[in-house]
Amino acid sequence: MSTVPSAARRLRISRLRGSNNEGVLVVAIAVLATVVGLVSPSFWSVATLLNVGTNSLENAVFAMAVLIVMVSGGIDVSFMAIGIFAGYSVIVLGNATGIAADSAWLGFMIAIAIGLALGLLNAFAIAVLRLPTLIATLGTQTIIRGVMLAFIGRKVIPDYPPGLESLSTTYLFTDYAAIATRLNVMIVPSIVICIVVSLMLRYTLVGRGIFAIGGDAESARRAGFPVTRLRVLIYLMAGALAATAGMMHVTQVRLANPYELVGGELDVIAAVVLGGASIFGGKGSVSGTVLGVVLIALINYSLILLGVPGAWQRAAVGALLLIGVSAQALSAAGRHRRGTIVQAEEAAA
Amino acid sequence: MTDPSAVIQRLLPERSLLRLAAFAIVVLVVFSLMSKPFFTVINFQSMGFQVAEVGLLSLAVMLTMLTGGIDLSIVSIASVAALVTAQLFAATGAAETTAMTPVLTAVFILVGMLAGTLTGLVNGLLITRLRVTPILATLGTMQLINGLMVAWTNGRAIYGMPDVFLAIGTGTVLLAPIAIVVLMAAALLTAAFMNRTGTGLRLKLVGANPTAARYSGLDNGRVLMLTYLASAFLASLAGIIIASRAASASADYGTSYVLVAIVICMLAGVNPNGGYATVTGVVIAAFTLQMVASGLNQIGWNTFHYQIVQGVLLIAVIGLNTFSEQGLLSGLLGRLRRRRPVGTRPAKAEPGP
Repeated sequence: MSTVPSAARRLRISRLRGSNNEGVLVVAIAVLATVVGLVSPSFWSVATLLNVGTNSLENAVFAMAVLIVMVSGGIDVSFMAIGIFAGYSVIVLGNATGIAADSAWLGFMIAIAIGLALGLLNAFAIAVLRLPTLIATLGTQTIIRGVMLAFIGRKVIPDYPPGLESLSTTYLFTDYAAIATRLNVMIVPSIVICIVVSLMLRYTLVGRGIFAIGGDAESARRAGFPVTRLRVLIYLMAGALAATAGMMHVTQVRLANPYELVGGELDVIAAVVLGGASIFGGKGSVSGTVLGVVLIALINYSLILLGVPGAWQRAAVGALLLIGVSAQALSAAGRHRRGTIVQAEEAAA
Repeated sequence: MTDPSAVIQRLLPERSLLRLAAFAIVVLVVFSLMSKPFFTVINFQSMGFQVAEVGLLSLAVMLTMLTGGIDLSIVSIASVAALVTAQLFAATGAAETTAMTPVLTAVFILVGMLAGTLTGLVNGLLITRLRVTPILATLGTMQLINGLMVAWTNGRAIYGMPDVFLAIGTGTVLLAPIAIVVLMAAALLTAAFMNRTGTGLRLKLVGANPTAARYSGLDNGRVLMLTYLASAFLASLAGIIIASRAASASADYGTSYVLVAIVICMLAGVNPNGGYATVTGVVIAAFTLQMVASGLNQIGWNTFHYQIVQGVLLIAVIGLNTFSEQGLLSGLLGRLRRRRPVGTRPAKAEPGP
């Protein structure tokens, strides 16, 4: 901040930028679209939109789980394990016993029940045993994945129960110009979930409580929020969301592979962090998060379109995350210099 | 000085070390009873070969935790050191043993370690200059470096190292694997650095209370930079041993070690919020976990069972430490609550301020 803009101008700029970097993300997405579109004209097609939508619909739901936890001041790395555990288990269960074989709804319900149970495991470790969230969820991630691979199955399953089979081929849009470019109908529940989470975070007591805990748990307690109960609720919600997203993933790919998802946590965490959520809690928004998810999906798709080898995708997401967090840290340090928050120093140490 | 809670705080770690040693002995006895080949020289040798790399990575994580941070990029850094060394061998065709081989090997290892250690510089700069939280900074570099390494090698493993190099990971001196000797030397040096040098003390101070450290005139940035360089150095050493034991180098080797290293640090009683770490504890914990792995393997459990055990151990151990601390300090709870909000703000403290 070498030149100090006038107060009015600063206000206008900061409003354009959005409270959670939404403006910056919109600009980044627009710039990326323009550049890739210039290099590769086939970018400007419905296929791009459908591809990004297909990619984002499950990641947006995963990101909601990560967002809720991060707003409360934690970090969850077990969500992918919960997702694949729930998705894979429902397929195995449906094939073996015929339970929920005919109804995709029932399949999703069972997945959510599994997600709640696994979320309870996180809640126990974090709210009751009071473990640091990263370490607790690293532990539960290993346990959940281990239990799935040791006791539920290790085979890749191509046969689905009829209910899910038909859901997996129910498309909202199909682009006949491009091969296999369609958008699954699950984009609708995905959007609904994002809206519901947004309303929950903004307008309910639970949502305000989550922000309060993230701001300062002790203050939240003194303000009368039931902190432990809220924490349990947070990890239950995260579990249910992760399970839903996992189910969406398994349904979309039509090949239940228990080795999938785990290891891909960073794509989602990066999206949430880019979307303006603070790892220290108390800050974050659904709109920013969704933009972050779309940006990462767009980057991954563009790299494929431009013929860049897959390995570079991993590097690109890593670089993007580093740029995002550095920008955030720098702007926090700027605020610190202006005397608003005395947290940057401790944050860095 | 006579603050009773301070005295208890100093004694607590010793307690957790004792508990760890007891646990190690229980593991040793139980598996010796359950499996005949467990308590044999061969088995201890084979455990020794495996424990070195994980032990070195754990020491790296321990140093960063001592300052209240974490390094998730250790395995990526290890692969940098391994791949640079392996590529040098491949590029010069030095796999054939000649008179020059020992010299070349030493040079290539040094270059690889230098490359790995310099990668740690990126972490250090992000954390000290840009003030990014260690967990996010190292999460990002973990992914970025790994992606670059996969892209560099097209995801393939690199072969072709001379026998001198392979001896590091597979040879023995007086029955002891060379790798273990390397681990022990690194552990002794780390311990001496932590406990006998001013810089080591500064590390501890920055971890215990960064604000107090700054107000007492410490250059926190320099201390942290040094920490992440040291962590990268230890990780690079681990990378050399991994490559030497596998007779090849790949960006995909050892990805599961990040979790294992954190489990080991937690078993050892290292405080992830900074201020306390013990090299002895980390070494014992590394051996204990290796005994668990090897023992479970011998009684017919697979890797997935072992993963479950790792996760359960991790949660059980920290849970136990938290609870015993609370029980012991119940009398002083009011005072301690204010000073060190262990239970009140775990999420806040977790990213390692």
